[in-house]
Amino acid sequence: MEYTTQLNSAVNELQRITGIKLEVAADSIQDEERALKQLRSLCNAYKEKFNKNHFLKSLMIGSVSPVEAMEDALRLHIAPEEQRILFLLEMKGALNDTVKEILKNLFPPQTKAYLIPMTECGVAILRPVKDTESEQEIFQLAHMIVDTLNTEALTHVWAAYSGVIHHLTELAAAWQETSLALKVGKLFYSEQTVFPYNRLGIGRLIYQLPVPICEGFLKELFGNDVPDSMDEDTTATINRFLQNNLNIAETSRQLHMHRNTLIYRLDQVEKRTGLDLRRFEDAMTFKIASLVMNYLQTERNSKHE
Amino acid sequence: MASLSLKGIQKIYPNGFHAVQDFNLEIEDKEFIIFVGPSGCGKSTTLRMVAGLEDISGGTLTIDGKVMNDVEPKDRDIAMVFQNYALYPHMTVYDNMAFGLKLRKVPKDEIDKKVREAARILDLDKLLDRKPKALSGGQRQRVAMGRAIVRNPKVFLMDEPLSNLDAKLRVQMRIEISKIHESLGATIIYVTHDQTEAMTLGTRIVVMKDGIVQQVDTPQNLYNTPCNLFVAGFIGSPQMNFLDAVVNISGNDVSLKVGDYVLKVPESKKQALIKGNYNGKTVVLGIRPEDVHDSEEFIAANPDSVVESTVKVYELLGAEVYLYFDVAGTQMTARVNSRTPLRTGDKAVFALEMDRIHLFDKETELTITN
Repeated sequence: MEYTTQLNSAVNELQRITGIKLEVAADSIQDEERALKQLRSLCNAYKEKFNKNHFLKSLMIGSVSPVEAMEDALRLHIAPEEQRILFLLEMKGALNDTVKEILKNLFPPQTKAYLIPMTECGVAILRPVKDTESEQEIFQLAHMIVDTLNTEALTHVWAAYSGVIHHLTELAAAWQETSLALKVGKLFYSEQTVFPYNRLGIGRLIYQLPVPICEGFLKELFGNDVPDSMDEDTTATINRFLQNNLNIAETSRQLHMHRNTLIYRLDQVEKRTGLDLRRFEDAMTFKIASLVMNYLQTERNSKHE
Repeated sequence: MASLSLKGIQKIYPNGFHAVQDFNLEIEDKEFIIFVGPSGCGKSTTLRMVAGLEDISGGTLTIDGKVMNDVEPKDRDIAMVFQNYALYPHMTVYDNMAFGLKLRKVPKDEIDKKVREAARILDLDKLLDRKPKALSGGQRQRVAMGRAIVRNPKVFLMDEPLSNLDAKLRVQMRIEISKIHESLGATIIYVTHDQTEAMTLGTRIVVMKDGIVQQVDTPQNLYNTPCNLFVAGFIGSPQMNFLDAVVNISGNDVSLKVGDYVLKVPESKKQALIKGNYNGKTVVLGIRPEDVHDSEEFIAANPDSVVESTVKVYELLGAEVYLYFDVAGTQMTARVNSRTPLRTGDKAVFALEMDRIHLFDKETELTITN
């Protein structure tokens, strides 16, 4: 019988991936449609059963139980017990073929690394780690991936990575770690491009605080007048002063203003917030409050999206 | 090739960090521009804004007269060589250099022509069949540059490409990069934290600190006429000596009191101190190590600029010696001939070449005399 093109493709696809050639009996358009649906389901089921990336992705997002995980890993010839690190890369734009090709060639099959597209603009790399590889070498590797994609794919990339995992069953936790590292890194350390999970510092602390606690902290500090909208000049002055480690002379030099003008502005900030930024403790409190405000703003924006 | 214009370029990150402030620079076609400064000064961030890898928060970037602020990196006709590059381990040198062009679906014969031409420039012709593990560090670095050259871009952007090489290899590769600049006639923007690299490679150097441009000039001018204390201390090795000095102006005589020493200021430097009303004020006296002399003839000819001390450290470098000693509680360095009889522990007399001193306002840190 002559099949439609789509049905033909589905039959060929099934033969290609399973080696089984099917004869389809379909006397009407409805029969053909039903047959097409069934063939596609069969193809998908087979791919799911034997596709490593699909398995690893399911493991990461927690949709595979530990028992199933062990069985599937053995069937797919993935060593369950091996030291690995999970990298998560996020592109500024969509994950395109150029990026995939570059990563495939940076991590060819001999490296035993798995490249797993996770989202429209994100890819995970599960890579074995040698005993002799140091933390610094892993950090360099992350930078190498970012720099290579910058120069070869001409695309902006952020990279986060987990701690060392020893068993595949730890992969879900590693995925949580790297996802968190990426979110915290982009929010609190936006001038960087590589975010190790074990170096998130105060950013992670704040990110994991419940929103009501953050709001309560700001209210306790500033009352009802939370200073989330200072004028541009004041904001620039404060940021530069904090960047210069509370050094008035250096800050006034960099901002091309007289030190008295700088002191006047700091006095204005103190009048408004009750915090004298020249005192280390107050500067620290203000800095933490800024991080909290930044975090809350991002949470509000993400709810609106 | 291309000219670039950066006007009022700023970078403020979402977390409030102000990485680059009011960066202004005109780059002519074929120039080799160096951005130099300490870690965190904004030089890489500025380069990445030129590349399009970072958004520009304020200001305008143009390449060949076209505004590039919102143009994607792949459409800017640039090529980059970054510090932590990687070569594809299972590909030959040829394939490594051809890979980017293959991804862009450039015809095979064109790829072959470009790769072979780049290999010839980089002296890699005999290595095209080798894999990266069979290459030396310098050869791998040249392959990384080859990947950029085959793109035939308007501008090359290099971010600390030699930082991971050992000192000897860095010196060799600097020469290679200079040769590449000559043979390609390329416009290059090069970022480094190494002032020696900056001085030897660039036609012009942009010195940056804390996101702000300190001075833009030729290597020679930066060395001879630094505009502020930071540039004076950053450029030159060993670093310039800095001493606090109190200015004394009496009629037309001007002197500087450094500890117990009174140093007479020559005619060439006097007027700036007089016009600037520096009488009684403390300024910073800067003097390069090579302008501190230990020879008897010089000391005899310059009795009004003599200081005495004890040599704390004697460092022989072969053709010259560095002597470290204290004056008025501040460590100083003198760069003298290797035939000097002075050794560690010796009492020594030095004379400062006062015509070559630099004076800086202690508060603003700006030059008074340059």
